This record gives sequence, structure tokens and C-alpha cells, in this order.
Amino acid sequence: MKRLITSFCFLLFAFCSSREKPLVIGSKNFTESVILGELLAQKLEANGCNVERRLNMGGTFVCDTAIRSGAIDAYVEYSGTALTAILKLPAINDRAKVNELVRAAYEKRGLRWSPPLGFNNTFAMIVRRAGAQSQGLRKISDLVNVAKIYEPGFGYEFTERPDGWTGLQHAYGLQFAKPPRTMDLGLTYRALVSGQVDLIAGNSTDGLIESFGLIVLDDDKHFFPPYDAVVVQRNDLDARCHDASKTLESLRNSIDDATMRHLNFEVDGNKRAVAEVVKQFLRR
Amino acid sequence: MIEYRDVSVVRGGNAILDRVSLRIEKGEHVAFLGRSGAGKTTALKVINGLVGPSAGEILVDGAPMARHELPRLRRRIGYVMQQPALFPHRTVFDNVATVPRLLEWPEEKTRAEAERLLAQLELPLATFGARFPRMLSGGQQQRVAIARALIAAPEIVLCDEPFSALDPIIRAEMQSLFDGVVRASGAPPPTGAPEARTTRTTLVFVTHDVREALRIAGRVIVFDAGRVVVDTPADAFMSHQHPLVRRFVEA
Amino acid sequence: MSDLVRLTGEHLLIVSIAVVIAIAAGVPLGTFAHRRRRLGGIALRITDVVQTIPSLAMFGFLIPLPLLGGIGPRPAIVALVLYSLLPIVRSTLVGLERVDAHVREAATAMGMTDRQLLWNIELPLATPAIVAGIRIATVTAIGVATIAAAIGGGGLGTLIFRGVSMVDSRLILQGAVPAALLAIAADALLTQVEHYFAKRRGES
Repeated sequence: MKRLITSFCFLLFAFCSSREKPLVIGSKNFTESVILGELLAQKLEANGCNVERRLNMGGTFVCDTAIRSGAIDAYVEYSGTALTAILKLPAINDRAKVNELVRAAYEKRGLRWSPPLGFNNTFAMIVRRAGAQSQGLRKISDLVNVAKIYEPGFGYEFTERPDGWTGLQHAYGLQFAKPPRTMDLGLTYRALVSGQVDLIAGNSTDGLIESFGLIVLDDDKHFFPPYDAVVVQRNDLDARCHDASKTLESLRNSIDDATMRHLNFEVDGNKRAVAEVVKQFLRR
Repeated sequence: MIEYRDVSVVRGGNAILDRVSLRIEKGEHVAFLGRSGAGKTTALKVINGLVGPSAGEILVDGAPMARHELPRLRRRIGYVMQQPALFPHRTVFDNVATVPRLLEWPEEKTRAEAERLLAQLELPLATFGARFPRMLSGGQQQRVAIARALIAAPEIVLCDEPFSALDPIIRAEMQSLFDGVVRASGAPPPTGAPEARTTRTTLVFVTHDVREALRIAGRVIVFDAGRVVVDTPADAFMSHQHPLVRRFVEA
Repeated sequence: MSDLVRLTGEHLLIVSIAVVIAIAAGVPLGTFAHRRRRLGGIALRITDVVQTIPSLAMFGFLIPLPLLGGIGPRPAIVALVLYSLLPIVRSTLVGLERVDAHVREAATAMGMTDRQLLWNIELPLATPAIVAGIRIATVTAIGVATIAAAIGGGGLGTLIFRGVSMVDSRLILQGAVPAALLAIAADALLTQVEHYFAKRRGES
């Protein structure tokens, strides 16, 4: 009897310890981030890892807090965002320099800043085509013509971030009369198209810009830093799943701007499921 | 004045009133007597249309109930229940003034009549007029209810055991007060009327108390199981031989 | 600070407009339910179901609708009206039903028409209950209105959502505390109104 109990306990213990804690993949709460999160998840699953998804979690800071605390193990961040919003360093325009600064800083924070996925997703200040034509808007500096009458509409982050609305107005010497309407980021395109707001801050890789015939204003003063998409991961991934970081490394430079825009459009424009779109992308 | 033609009221398969035929002349004071559940309250309520007959016809003033416009008819009928049911959010005066205001009387007339009536009921307007019902005793509230029912000199007055909730001493007082008030009221004779008309009010008074009935009414109608079993002048009641009457008298 | 004042003003505005509309629609609806049992029962059940829809989902449903929907204060007000209806309809109905049956009988027997009965007796006596329903609706609306920020409705929820996205508790509190204070103030104020009407009705 005693031997039976002992062997049972041993088996139970062995069973428990062989169950790896799953790798948790997070993402921010906009389409592109969800797609990239799904991409990391499917790639790791193909490698045989146990993956748990926490997509659509929240904004930049929610994800950053989560990865620092270990609530998630990896997500995709953007270099400019990490630089100004998370690390609170002044924006600079040198792409390589930004990357190096961030990589070093993240290493000190106990995180790995790698690999870059291969595209740059900067903020796009977007207006309607009709308005752009009648008001002569081609670059962000031109917004001074409409600062008194245009009502901006942004997601919650852009309104608060230093590399967001306040910084932008300051850099361009703008002073909008109407305070920005804030809403869930995903709704800003609809708000712009229906005329509820006149200026939004989208992503340069958004699929909806072309399909709605909208105009992106040129960042003539180069206010926005580069936003290269890079995987942020904790350092213990390999211990939990064999070759995890190698698998993620295989994603280096695998997506260019056009591809990202295409993937975004498949989900936002053609209303296809994220998992489907990612699966198809990985199969090509 | 009030005529029941084979009136039946059926509720849930039970005949609460069973083929009642009666005639009450203008100016009569009639008591509906009977035990609880005998149908006397229902018989009262068909007169002002609070209950509709399931069969048969009830006529008031020669016209069937169906042809009357009920609210207008009811303003000519005074109704007093066991509960005073005064409007709690209105003063004593406003309660009493209800029907006059529905009839669009000039306010001075309403005031004068209220004063007269309340004085008779020993509730002077000056003292009690501005009070709210919750400040009055049960007996006082019932007196206000009586004033409310009688102020517009209704041609018909219906009472449903109005004093049974009061204690015996008060009850006796109320009976005499009420009697006096009813006899003193009544529609004034129309000028130039070709014939002498009675100016007294028609009174139908429901009670289960024999003494009260004999005191107030000139005619006693006894109900039992929804039917009229005895219909006799009041002074012949005590010597009436119907077994139900004997039981009432001996009680 | 001026941001806070502006957002508080927005918040109060959408709540006030919504509650006023809910009163204008809810009291007649409750009165109707009192008169016509069956149709009234159906109306009550619909408002019951509406109440169970999670607020964020409700706001989301409204976005694509043509007239009432979209983004901004309008769908926010629509959603708030829908949520405020149930407490008001219910309290109107209950208030009317609680009117003493004898009082009603006396009024009818005196020759009041249905309409006179309703306006002179039933509604005045039901008023304290109705105000209680308005109070509940208002306090609820102040809370639900914070979600309106998700669809651009403005108000104090804006600060809460911004705070959540930045993981900034201070910002969250800047929105949550005034909203809570508004709810407390509305509750206290309307309780006073309720008492005033109860006194007038003749209850000590």
C-alpha cells in the first residue's frame, strides 16, 4: 500500500513538472497589434510551444506593465513609442540610433528588444480628401489654416503621449480651438468618414486609409520618430519552450510596409478573422 | 326613481345578486339589510355603476344605466363607504369641495355650503378646513366624508355601512347627526313646478345592524344569498314573521 | 483643471438630457402600463431586457445605426435613455398601483372621469414613488455615462479611459472621483425632492 501511494505521488509530481507554463503572448488593442500578436502565437505553436493569447489587452502602457511583471512573455512594440512614451527620452530621428538606445535600455530593464519585423508604422495625421482639397492641406504645417475650425478625434493614448497631440502641436506651432474628442482608437476612422471629427491620428500601415480615400499629411518637420516594429520578449522563454527565441528570430524582417498594410486591410476592410489571415500569411 | 329589473351579478360562477327586481321611489329612505355576503353591498353599487349587472337592467331616473354618462350621473349621487377614503393630499375643505368643483360651482357658493354642512356635523370650517385628513380621528374623517358626499345636494345618497368601523358611542352620535343632515338636505324645488314634488333625498343605506336600519330608514329590504327575501315598511319590521327577520330581531 | 470643468459639464449635460427624455417617455409609459395590463406588461418586459444589456455592448450596438447612432454624444444619450427607462416606468407603475383602492373608488363614485382621476388623484399620490424612480435612474445614468467616452461621448469617462490606457491611476481617479461625487450629490438632492412630495401628499 505504501509503495502504491509513493509511486502515485511521484507520477503526479513528474506529471505536474513536465507541464510547462504556457508562453503568454500579448498585444495592444488595435488591429495591427492583434495581427502581430497572433503571428507570434502561431509561429511559436508551430514550434511545438504551449501558447496562451492575451490579445487586445490595452494600450502601450498596459502591455509594458504586463511584460515587466511577467503577466505576458512577448508582444510587438514600436521603437519610437518605446523611446518617447515608455522610456520618456526625447524623440530623435536617426533610425539606427533609436533602435540602439532602446535595445540597451530594455536590456537594463531585463527585457530583450529583438527581432525587428521589417516595417515602420508611424503616426499618420489623416483628413478627408474633400477638406484637404478645399483647405489646401498637404502637410502637417498646413493645419494652421484650419486650427480654428477643425475638430480632432483621437484614441486615448495619442491625446496623452508626449510624442502625441501635445508634442505635435508644440512642434508645429499649432493651437487648435476645439479640444480633441477621445474615443476607442478603432472608431476614429468611422468618426472621420462620417464627419464627426475632421482630423485623426491613424497608423501609416492602416488598410482603411486607401479604401476610404483619405489623405495622409506629410510630417514635414519630422516630428514623429521612427516606429519600427520589434518583438519585445522576456529572457526566460527558451527555458520554458525549447528554441522559442530562435523561432521568434525567424521573423526578422519578414514583413514590409506594404505587406503589413495588406494584412491590416484583410481584417479591417474585408472583415476576415485575424487567425485566418495570419495562418494564410504563414503558409505562403 | 331607481328600478331593478331582474338584475343578476355573477362573479366567478357565483351569483352575488340573483334576479333582483325592486322599485325605489324618489324621496324614500331604504335600508338594505342582511348578513355579510348576502349581496346588499353589490345591490348598492349597481346604482352608481361601480358594479355592472351580468344580466337584467337597472334604471335610474327612468333611463337604463347604459344610457347614462356615468361620471355625470355619479355627480348627482352621494356615496359614503365604511372607510372615509379622504384624499390624503388635499385639505378637509378641498376634499369637501370635490363635487362642487366638478360641477363648476362658484367658489363662494362652495365655501358657504361647506361651512353650513360642516357646522351641522360639528366640524367648523374655520378650525378644520385647512387640516389634512391624517390629522383627524376616524370619526372626524367619516364626518368629512359625509360632508363630501352631501354638499352638492345629491338626489340619491348611497351608504355602505358608514358607521360600522366606529366605536358604539360615536356610532350612535353619528346616526342622529347623519339623519338630521340628510333630512335637511335635498334638492330645492324647481321654481314654477306644476306639481308638488318631494324635496327629500332618496337614501339607500346598507347595514347589518337592525337598530340602525330602523332608525334611519322608512323601508327595510332584507337580502339573503343574493335575493330579496323581505321588503317591508320599517314600522312593520319588528312584527314581521319571516324566519330571517325573527333571527335578526332576536339577536 | 479647465479640462475637468469642461468634461464635468459634458457629463452633466448628456445625463440631464437623457433623464429628461426618459421621464417624458417613461411616466406616460408607466401610466399606460397601469391602464392596459397586457400591453403594459409587454412594455415592462422590454425595458427589463434592455436593462440586462451590458452598457459597453449597448454603445457598440448603436454605432452603426443611421439616425440614433454614430459616434459622440447622440448615441450616448440614446443609450442612457434606454437604461433610465426601466426604473422610471416601474416606479410610475408601482406608485400608481399603490394608491389606496378605496380612495380610487371614492373618487370614481364622486363622478371623476378617468382622466380627472389620473391627474387629480393617482398621479399626485404616486409622485413620491415616481421621484424615487427618477432618483435611481439619474444615479445609474451618471455611472453608465462614464462608458460613453469609449464611443466619443465625452464626459468624465474620458479621463478614466485615458488613465487606463496610460496605466495612470491619478488620471483614472481624476475621472472616477468627480463622477462618484456627482452621483452622491444627485442622490441627496433627489431624496430631498422625494421627501418634499411625500410631505405634500399627506404623509408625515
